[in-house]
Formats: sequence, C-alpha cells, structure tokens
Amino acid sequence: MRKDITIAAEGRVSRGKNEARRLRVSGRAPAIIYGTGRDPVAVAISPKEVNKILLSSTGHNSIFDVAVDGGAPEPVMIVDWSYEPVKGNLLHIDMQRIDLTKRIKVKIPVHVHGEPKGVKQQGGLLDVVTREVEVECLPDDIPADFSLEIATLEINQAIRASDLPMTNSMKLIMVPETVIVHIVAPKIDPDAAAAAAEPEVIKKGKKDAAAPAADAKAKKK
Amino acid sequence: MLMPKKVKFRKQQRGRITGKAWRGSTLAFGDFGLKAMHCGLITDRQIEAARIAMTRYIKRGGKVWIRIFPDKPITKKPAEVRMGSGKGPLDHWACVIRPGKILFEMEGVALDVATEAMRLAAQKLPILTKVVTRDMQA
Repeated sequence: MRKDITIAAEGRVSRGKNEARRLRVSGRAPAIIYGTGRDPVAVAISPKEVNKILLSSTGHNSIFDVAVDGGAPEPVMIVDWSYEPVKGNLLHIDMQRIDLTKRIKVKIPVHVHGEPKGVKQQGGLLDVVTREVEVECLPDDIPADFSLEIATLEINQAIRASDLPMTNSMKLIMVPETVIVHIVAPKIDPDAAAAAAEPEVIKKGKKDAAAPAADAKAKKK
Repeated sequence: MLMPKKVKFRKQQRGRITGKAWRGSTLAFGDFGLKAMHCGLITDRQIEAARIAMTRYIKRGGKVWIRIFPDKPITKKPAEVRMGSGKGPLDHWACVIRPGKILFEMEGVALDVATEAMRLAAQKLPILTKVVTRDMQA
C-alpha cells in the first residue's frame, strides 16, 4: 500500500561493524537500498521512522519514498529488517526499490475476528496456522491485511488459502490447500486428568478400608 | 520430563554462557510469549513445572508451545565423596538460555489470562523474564 511519507537517508562511505555501532550510537541505523537493476546503495536512516512504518496498519508492505542525500525520492519497500533480541532496537534495514508498473511478491498478514462457534459452543481450540499469505500483485493493489470473520467456524472446520478473496491484480502464490485457520478438538492434558482422578482414588481407598472392617465386624457377630 | 533420545557423548563440560539469543528470539507460533532477559541454565524439572503451572491456569482454553529443550547433561558427584576419581554420574538435563530467547508461547486465550499464566510459569524459572505479545514485534 502506497504511503505519502518521504524519509531522508544519507549515503554511507565507511563500512564494518565498528562503524555500524558508532552509527547506531548516534541514533541512526545502517540500511541498504537495492533493486530495479541498479547498483545497491548503503545508507544511514532514522530507525524511529522505519519502526513507525513497520508498526503501522500496513506494516512492511508499505511503499514509501526515500531521498538519498537530498536527491529525488524513489519508492521503496522494507523487505528485511533485524531487531536486537533484548532491547528490540532496529539494527539493520533492507529496502527494495519498487517499479510501480511491475507485479511484486508480498506477504499479506491474516487477521481473524469473532469467537468461533466451535470454541464457544463445542469446546474446540482456535489454531491460526498461517499468519502471512504470499500473493503477487501490482504495488498499488497491495491490501493492508486479510480480515477473516470466523464466528461460524465449527470444530474440525478450516479456512484455506483458496478461500481468501483475491481482488484486482492479486494472485495467490502459495499452495491453495494451505490451512490458514482451523478449530481443533482440545487435547486432554494428562496432568489435568491425573489431578481430576486423585480425589476419586482417595474415596476408593477409604471405601476399601472401611469395607474389610465392616466384613470383620459381621464375622464377629 | 524432557530429555534427548540419543546423545553422542554422555557428559559435557560446563562452558560459559555469552552473547544474546540471536535465534529463537521472536514469536513463531502463538500470540503471547515468555522471553528470557538474563542468561542461565533451565533444568528439565523447571520446564515441566512451568508448563504445568501454565496449563493448569489456562485449563483447557489455549495451546502452549515449549520453545526450549534441555539437551545439556549436568553431572553431580554423590554426597560424601572425596574429590577426584573422575567426573560424577549424570544428574539431570538442562538447556542453555541466552537473553532474548523465547521460552514458551501461548495461543487461544485472552491477554490477561496469558499474562497471569506466564507470571505463574516465570515463578518456576531461575531467570528474569518478560511477557511479549505479537503486537510488540513488526
């Protein structure tokens, strides 16, 4: 989805982990722009602005403009990014130049809405198997997400990739039979079953203990 | 209790835990997860205790994934044995945890239920953890 955002980027001359670390300390993040048959350009970019785009409703499928060293803005898309595992800071961003007239492959997130009948009434478990669906389409036709209404879904029923609505220039790339979401029967936890069985065992024990005593009394009489 | 089916060597040296978890640090299956914030060893018993604490709290509503596996053998010498005479026998299994590792994941429950279940599970673990959700990561 096209966004009316232009991010400024500066070209990077020096390379290496030390230089990248210094860049991150100064509040910028190393990034690279490639694609459309032109040479790749190493740049420094604001991680805050990129994070805003990644956490927006359209996420990594947003197409925005990048102006390198004050030059002409060119449309790009974030194709790869890496986070620091503890603090969650953006470490590096890969951006691909987009030709707005050519079809591209994108991964569209799937969001489910509603409480399924199979969970509410039949005690099943909702399992979202595939969270992103790969489609091919024109850059202007990229949807924000696939929103699925699953209120009518019963136990052992599934929604597959072929059930998703493909509009405009969209074409499904993944296997059509791929399960997106299904309701599975609950698995009985052996611990829970054992915990439930424990009181019964104690009752049985008491009964068994009382029964021989009663028999002995009867014999005495 | 979790343990490997087959190992190449029965005993291992202790080693050092350095660095961060560059793999297995994002949610892969569920909507909520428990992330390690420190390094340490988590034993097979602790994983099992945490799993039981979680599954008992969520009853039969959700699904739990264990993202760690205890594959490191920990040996211990018997009590009142003099030092020397070789390494002790196998005592238990543990897994090496680096900061950032996702330990457990959960799906099919509400946020408050998942948070409380994860809190109960975290009490069984020897390291500091935090609850992460899918909304936090892009």
